[in-house]
Amino acid sequence: MRSASQWCARALRRQPLLPVWLVLVLALSGLYGEFGTVANFRNIAIQASPLIIAAVGATFVIMTAGIDLSVGSMLFLAAAIESSWALASAPAGVVFAAIAATGLLMGLVNGVAVALTRVPALIVTLASMQVFRGAGGHITGQQNIDLPAHLRGIGTSSLLGVPAPVLLAAATALGGVLVFGRTVFGRYLQAVGSNRAAALNAGLPVRAVTIGAYALAGVLAALASLTQTARLGAVQPSIGDGYELTVITAVVLGGTSLFGGRGSITGTVLGALVLTTAQTGLVFSGASPYVFDIVRGGILLVAVIAAGTRWRTLAQALRPAAVS
Amino acid sequence: MHAPTFIRWTAALAASALVLTGCGSSQKASGSDGSAKKITIGVSFDLLNAIRQAEKSAIEKATTEAGYEVVFTVADKDPQKQSSQIQDLIQTRKVDALIVIAQDGQQIASSVSLAKARNVPFIAIDRAVADQQNITFQITGDPVADGKLSAAEFVDAGKTKPLKVLELVGALTDQNAIGRRDGFNEALKGDPNVTVVSQVPTNWDPAQALDGTSNALQKNPDINAIFVPSDFLLPSVQSALKAAGRLAPVGDPGHVFLVTIDGDQNGCKAMRDKTLDADIATPVDDFGKQAISGITTALGGKSVSPNSVQTKGLSLDQANFATTSSQVWGCDGA
Repeated sequence: MRSASQWCARALRRQPLLPVWLVLVLALSGLYGEFGTVANFRNIAIQASPLIIAAVGATFVIMTAGIDLSVGSMLFLAAAIESSWALASAPAGVVFAAIAATGLLMGLVNGVAVALTRVPALIVTLASMQVFRGAGGHITGQQNIDLPAHLRGIGTSSLLGVPAPVLLAAATALGGVLVFGRTVFGRYLQAVGSNRAAALNAGLPVRAVTIGAYALAGVLAALASLTQTARLGAVQPSIGDGYELTVITAVVLGGTSLFGGRGSITGTVLGALVLTTAQTGLVFSGASPYVFDIVRGGILLVAVIAAGTRWRTLAQALRPAAVS
Repeated sequence: MHAPTFIRWTAALAASALVLTGCGSSQKASGSDGSAKKITIGVSFDLLNAIRQAEKSAIEKATTEAGYEVVFTVADKDPQKQSSQIQDLIQTRKVDALIVIAQDGQQIASSVSLAKARNVPFIAIDRAVADQQNITFQITGDPVADGKLSAAEFVDAGKTKPLKVLELVGALTDQNAIGRRDGFNEALKGDPNVTVVSQVPTNWDPAQALDGTSNALQKNPDINAIFVPSDFLLPSVQSALKAAGRLAPVGDPGHVFLVTIDGDQNGCKAMRDKTLDADIATPVDDFGKQAISGITTALGGKSVSPNSVQTKGLSLDQANFATTSSQVWGCDGA
């Protein structure tokens, strides 16, 4: 009994969002019988997967006190290239490698521009957001394009009963936790985000770390794109439009500071799950379509206020390490 | 040269190159001799997608037939950008007339006023503008009528089998989405055989349409009909049905009754494949023809009467597909 309460207290300190999510799930399951079913939890997990993948990438960027507004446009450009005639008949492996390389290139463009100039990341990625979306529009001709069947497996198939998007999201989250907590790169990220000047004085490779963070975000945005597009079965001009807001909400809701230096991949995953669970709950509740916007906006507001007031300061004081 | 200065110069050069490229990319319809000044029409679209491409083609076809030239701009869903582009078209490009699809029917008022002050005929198409007094001509679809036509398909089908409907809704800030929703709901009011059991907003986002449909099917497994307010959301809905094991062709006992609006390539292909029951096709060709006709009248010094026209869609269903699909803009290559 005591160990259970200790576990709860520890979990609460490390991830204040965990009990929020659990209460949300329990409340919705109590209210609506169909909510607490395996099929529905599977549904939520699949729906949250692309968001988790993209948000893990964004966490790396925000940890450096940067921001990436081009996530949604990277998603669209990757999808546009995937659907282009050049890759239409290529084997799935070749297409996925090409899309990952595209994501890497897009991330490098952002990273190099942010790291090598004094232009704020907000401005750089605002510009690249338009460049990437424009390029995607040029490739697709702003038309809807059906995705070939052999490219849909990454979003619709399963392995041992676990949906492929969920496996990819889990692997991404696990990789993110390891990179964040167990590698030199992860420690440098926190150092650069906490105090860039001090990191420079200490001789840390600040530019390389910054470029690395954006490059990772680019690759993961491309992976999210592959998953999302495969689920949709088609590439459409509005893919990823406004997605950056959802991604940043998930990251900030998960406790990553917009000022950099503090954050958690586990928190980001929970942020994405809270958003997706709330969205599903709204459909189950039969709420007016206008309420959806109010709830979405309310969650963003809570996330931003929480970031602004550094709501986790209290939890920070109670625990030894900021990174999970 | 210091590095920051070099970077500034490089950035300035790159920006200049982009601006010049952008200017050069404005599309001009082919002129034949260039001896006389051709009438130039400035076209400002809110965005580009499949239906806008069709509207663009309709305008280009009509302008070519009339012997006019076109300067084309897209505002990327940004009302301020659209306002600047229209200002540029009027003051710098000195166009003779404007065709505009407003991103925001209210905020476009300043552009309407500017056009009026410079005696440039202002033609609004597809989306209604608030300032009806100062525009030259307006032609839009009739979203409420399209919603009612969609509902009529459900009412007909409901006579054979009671329908429990999932109603998807477009962006709540888009008057076309609201009109379609209102027309649909109004026409179904009191019908004993058709019940809307779930109403899910999509914000015109295919991912939200996919997730919303999946969630609604999970909550209400007895849903047997879906109203999709635009063809471009159809692949999302069909993906959700497939994932739920509910995708079956028309005529199959497990078929989920589907009606969409627009009449684009997605819709026509689905009609042809017998996975869609009905599609209410927007008359985009009329938009182009009547807009150019209005401009010709206005440039001739006459007023266009009536100065506002609403055209309702064409009902395309499995019964009339063979005879009617040729009139639908998306069925050309579908």
